[in-house]
Amino acid sequence: MKKTLKLKIFASFMLLIAMLAIAGAISILEFRWLSNSVHGLVEDNYKSIEASKKMVEALEREDSGILLLMLGEWEEGREILKAADRSFFSAFEVAKNNLTENNEESYIRDIEKAYRIYKSSWQRPIVDTDKQGNIVWYKDDIHQKFVDTKSAVNELMSLNQSSMFNEVSDLKEKSKRAIMPGIVSIIAALVFSIILNFFITKYFVNPISELAEAVDNYRDGDKSLRVDISSNDEIKKLENAINDLLQRQVKNFNTSKK
Amino acid sequence: MKKEIIIKHLGVVLLLNGVFLFISFLISFFLNESSTVSLLFSALICGIFGVFPLIFVERTEHISFNEGLTIVVLGWIITCVVGMLPYLMWGGEFTLTNAWFESVSGFTTTGSTILTEIESLPKGILFWRSSTHWIGGIGVILFVLLILPRSKGQRITIYNTEISSLSKMNFRYNTRKIVHILAVVYISLTLLETIALMVFGMNFFDAINHSFATIATGGFSTKNLSIAEYNNLGIEVIIMVFMILSGNHFGLIYGTIMLKKENLFRSSLAKTFVSVLLIGILLVTLKLYLSGTYDLLTSLRYASFQVISLGTTTGFATVDTIHWPIFTQIILIYFTIQCAMSGSTSGGLKFDRVYIFFKLLGKQIKLLKHPNSVFVSKFDGKRIDEKLEEQTLVFIVLYVAVFFATTIILTAMDIDGMTAFSASIATLGNVGPGFENVSSLGNFASLPDFGKFVLSINMLLGRLEIFNILALIMIKK
Repeated sequence: MKKTLKLKIFASFMLLIAMLAIAGAISILEFRWLSNSVHGLVEDNYKSIEASKKMVEALEREDSGILLLMLGEWEEGREILKAADRSFFSAFEVAKNNLTENNEESYIRDIEKAYRIYKSSWQRPIVDTDKQGNIVWYKDDIHQKFVDTKSAVNELMSLNQSSMFNEVSDLKEKSKRAIMPGIVSIIAALVFSIILNFFITKYFVNPISELAEAVDNYRDGDKSLRVDISSNDEIKKLENAINDLLQRQVKNFNTSKK
Repeated sequence: MKKEIIIKHLGVVLLLNGVFLFISFLISFFLNESSTVSLLFSALICGIFGVFPLIFVERTEHISFNEGLTIVVLGWIITCVVGMLPYLMWGGEFTLTNAWFESVSGFTTTGSTILTEIESLPKGILFWRSSTHWIGGIGVILFVLLILPRSKGQRITIYNTEISSLSKMNFRYNTRKIVHILAVVYISLTLLETIALMVFGMNFFDAINHSFATIATGGFSTKNLSIAEYNNLGIEVIIMVFMILSGNHFGLIYGTIMLKKENLFRSSLAKTFVSVLLIGILLVTLKLYLSGTYDLLTSLRYASFQVISLGTTTGFATVDTIHWPIFTQIILIYFTIQCAMSGSTSGGLKFDRVYIFFKLLGKQIKLLKHPNSVFVSKFDGKRIDEKLEEQTLVFIVLYVAVFFATTIILTAMDIDGMTAFSASIATLGNVGPGFENVSSLGNFASLPDFGKFVLSINMLLGRLEIFNILALIMIKK
């Protein structure tokens, strides 16, 4: 295929546009992934962490409720236990329906099991029984079950926290990856422009200047048009055309002289 | 100097890199890895910059020496620059300095790494890392010569600057034939090693990556523990055989296969090279055994692998030599300095120069006894040109000067003596691992950024044989 001036300029700009377009597309794609990751981070882990915090809070309120019952405060104790139990289950449901990590289901099962055991201990009457004021029962039975349940919830929280930490590290990498095509393409476009400028000067500007100079020289008396254009494009055609024109002029001049 | 010709050839170098980057991208794409975008974008950049000069620059018949030299030196530098793009864009442990270091180390077939967690890298990046060895092993420019149909003049000019005069000594063919011999031997050895490693239980991906690294005498592994990860004698023997082959002159390997007169078994240089390796293995084995480090067979197994690995400038490891007796470390340092034969894929000082140096030493001793006599050094029955002797001596002096300068610069950065010394010589010789903090199973991550940059310059000087860079600077001035 003959490389005309039009084709050369068109191809160069197409390459530049392609590079910038690809860099732009990749950056948009990377930023979309980044945004999905942020969304995922909030949706997946943050929800479970918040639910775990609420469960721990509810457990601590239940513990206070039990202590009130042990002091003989039946009404207030039962009220606190009921509210805390509702609060625990509502948070537990959130965590249960937000399984995002590997093996998270087994953590939920552990919490469910530990809480069932804990709840069965304080559901039975405490006021007016041998449990009222019985600090040994509280220490050996209730407190241990409370700690077990709280530990199970904390483990779920740790799982989601560590996953969140990893996600944040990943996000840092992803944001870097999203920026890099832009940085690289800016540098590449700069280099590309310098090379393009060199080629335009070398293959377009210089030959035209040389042709203009040669025509000037001809006008000043130098009857040979000496320009060496290596390319095989319109400028070469122009050189040939000028050569041809000048040769005809010389021929006409000689004929008219005769 | 015609800049457009240089730009056009550099473009072709970029296109070659683009092909390997695209293969790496395909691996990442099919495995759905995080490096997909960085590899694709790097491949596209190479493709665009490779095609662009072809639009403008017309076919040229003649390339001057200066242009050839500039193409070779800039070709290596530009290759290293684009080589770091996928690393830099992917991130992880690759900062700007680390990406540059890893890229230069790959292309110059040094094999020193800054990575502490190689196995966590995506497979696409691992493949690109090994590809840099393979592209660099035979010389980026030789690949270009092979790919492009060129006029005789162009081929000879570029070939003369890419290959040192020492390498040409065993070739008795025209340039076109030599380029094809190099390529055929290179590709055949790679395929053979891949198959052999798979026979001994390595999976295809690891086998091809380790073959790239062995035949190029590079040393990048896909495992944190290098070859020690496999703990497989069969794999070690295969790699040792191919390391020795890759450390030999490719012309001699071709001659051996084609049953030519000039072959591995008749070349005194090749025989001396293997003999020196055997002496090294014997000495290290005995010391390891007598010092109670290992039993006799284990000593032989580890000594063989380490001596061959460093003696051929490959740099793979089956054991950490950091706790070995100092005598064995000194022997290994000798092999790090000596390097492999010219005409092979190795860089550095080269065994041929050491051989010529000792021949010259013998000649000088004889001259002391008989000052008026005329002695001629010979090399496989052929006279060694005095110009070559002179060049060899100048090269050795320059080599030692660069090595000392680098050691001094590194110690100025409070790097301990052994680390600085061994890192300098290991990078200048394109060997890879050194001792202490940069030992065989260690890495260069702990070195300061400026230290890594200095060592990367060392690698380029070792690969380009110092003279080419000096010539370019001097001629330009």
